[in-house]
Amino acid sequence: MNAPEGDIDFSALFKPRNIAVVGASASSGGPANNFLRGLKRSGYAGDVFPVHPHAQSIEGFPAYRSINDIPCNVDYAYIAVAAQRTPAIFKGLSRRIVFAQVVSSGFSEVAGGLALEQQLVTACRQVGVRLLGPNCLGVHSPRGLISFVEGAPLEQGTIGVLSQSGGLSIDIIGRGHVRGLRFSAVVSLGNCADLGVPDLLQFLLDDPLTKVIGLYLEDVVEGRRFYDILRAGRARKPIVLLKGGRTKAGQRASSSHTGSLAQEDSIWVALSRQTGVVLVDTLDQLLDALLTFQFVSLHPERPTRRAVLFGNGGGAGVLACDAFSRAGIDIAPLSHDTITRLQQLKLPAGTSIENPVDTPGGVLRHEDGLLGVRVLHAIWDDPSVEVVVMHLNIPAIMNYANPLVVPNLVRGALDLQSQGGRSVHFVLVLRSDGNVDSGTEKAKYRELAREMGVPIFDEFHDAANALSALAAHETFLNSRMDTSAP
Amino acid sequence: MVSSIKVAITPHEVIEREISDARSAGLTALTEPAAKRILSSYDIRVPGSCFIDSMLSPIKASDELPPPYALKVVSSEVLHKTDVGGVRLNLSSIEAVTAAMAEMQQSIHSKGIKIDGWLLEEMAPQGIELVVGGTFDIRFGPMIMLGFGGIFVELLKDVTFRMCPIDLVDARQMIGDLRGARLLEGWRGQSAASVESLERTLLQMGGDGGLLISLLKFADEVEINPLIVSSNGATAVDARIILSADR
Repeated sequence: MNAPEGDIDFSALFKPRNIAVVGASASSGGPANNFLRGLKRSGYAGDVFPVHPHAQSIEGFPAYRSINDIPCNVDYAYIAVAAQRTPAIFKGLSRRIVFAQVVSSGFSEVAGGLALEQQLVTACRQVGVRLLGPNCLGVHSPRGLISFVEGAPLEQGTIGVLSQSGGLSIDIIGRGHVRGLRFSAVVSLGNCADLGVPDLLQFLLDDPLTKVIGLYLEDVVEGRRFYDILRAGRARKPIVLLKGGRTKAGQRASSSHTGSLAQEDSIWVALSRQTGVVLVDTLDQLLDALLTFQFVSLHPERPTRRAVLFGNGGGAGVLACDAFSRAGIDIAPLSHDTITRLQQLKLPAGTSIENPVDTPGGVLRHEDGLLGVRVLHAIWDDPSVEVVVMHLNIPAIMNYANPLVVPNLVRGALDLQSQGGRSVHFVLVLRSDGNVDSGTEKAKYRELAREMGVPIFDEFHDAANALSALAAHETFLNSRMDTSAP
Repeated sequence: MVSSIKVAITPHEVIEREISDARSAGLTALTEPAAKRILSSYDIRVPGSCFIDSMLSPIKASDELPPPYALKVVSSEVLHKTDVGGVRLNLSSIEAVTAAMAEMQQSIHSKGIKIDGWLLEEMAPQGIELVVGGTFDIRFGPMIMLGFGGIFVELLKDVTFRMCPIDLVDARQMIGDLRGARLLEGWRGQSAASVESLERTLLQMGGDGGLLISLLKFADEVEINPLIVSSNGATAVDARIILSADR
């Protein structure tokens, strides 16, 4: 039985009017109990129907004997019972279920589990249910106030994520939130037995709440459909892809050079070059790139290739130059006019007014940071600059204990950005020694940066990789500016 | 002779006919003349050539085919001709061809390999040696490869892939991806190669309605190696088409 054709309306999954939960226990805990408690905690406003053979209520919600006993149709059924019992749930169903999500494992991901997975898919299709999973955590959806992570923050954001690993989707929500990412949706896809990567990718591309898309993929069964959606999308939203298993060796013997040179990695690089999807190598790179796209306005007319560095620490600046150069971002010399303007500021001794512009901490502290803003202004007007990277060493700033310095510097940069002059990106690198005190201070500045919409990174190579992702996306848009349809 | 004889059938029909002939003959790969007939039907330039059945048939090519010549063995039992001593280059006259053929026949026969005939070709001009290939990925479908270095392609690994079909922007970016791309612009006094003809070849192979999309329905692997690109165009000097067992 084939999947139904046509566009899928996902509103019942991401903003369900009601939720049935099968597999919660009356006494002990489990994923379904956590999910129910999460609904209570998040303030989910729709009806919640736990299904249990004999319990009166579960986690404070009145329970029902079976799905057919629920007094209405169900938008979203969360199912966490033993794998063998899942197909039977859909047999003889008299209530309509729009989406069912099966948490249980023991399907095609284990040896001998494929037949059971096929039975489950057939059972769902016979009653017109679309299936998410099995072997997946489900959806984290701020718009619907639902999450598979109990107590996860549900502030509405603009980043949509699809993950073929449940564990990594938890990391993405948790680590991402701390780093300043705010999500429109995070979906753990599991085995993709019915709903697959292309279906949910199409949803995120069309979703008005989603501005940026992140993907963690291990394999795409419907590769061609996935590619065709991406190619047709022509990177109208930035998409960042972390593809697991790219280093895998070629799988078949080959009698031509072409065949033996066609490695797994070359296929994903091809996909990236043709669709504008940005490839990254690590989870942190994925998060840093998404953070960047969350905040910046894109400059396709002038892709980001040249940066000016400004901050404290000479050696740090030298290492930064190497990191940026490796990521394909030039630290270009400043123009004669810019250098003259910097000279006129009569900065204290110890300041280097070439790129990187290296200032001792005292200069940054001067006039609560306002002298530094004048430095930023001079840099901003340099014709070669496409991004200004401001780097600060937190322990050094803490020693001065002046809470105005960093906000003034950041605000100064944002004022320059909003003055409608030259379009220049602005990012922050806040380096730390790892001490608890520095960490607390850093978290404060991180939150400030997020409120002000500035991408912020731990180290130079993080910023360099994120800017390289930005540059790759802008360069793709630039290369396709004259061409219309695919 | 250079693909000047226009046949009244479509390129796709040429593919179907050549594939069907090869399958009826029990072959797993097309012979070089068959592969080149397919390339020609897509207007990809191949060297002027004539097929010689056997040593006994008189060679009358000289009127239309100017020396120097390349002589290649045609055998369904040979996939890599150079490995069996089946290629001789820069033969200056028909006499030299006859002599070379006699030597090669003896040496190839001594290896127990059956000879189906000979391909006599004009020598391609000097130029940059590239590889243009195609494979079928089970998830993404037909893919095109451009590689640098002709027979050294696997050593250099200077290659780039795209999903088919490609457009002109893709073709240009593929060329730009190669580390050796600057050699096409002319390096150390060499004249610049025709990048336009390379772009055209990539589109004839991997573009919408191109050779690979049609051919990879029947073949697992397709490869022009080398494709020689000089100031006056791109020429497919050798080509290999491996039939698919299951498609």
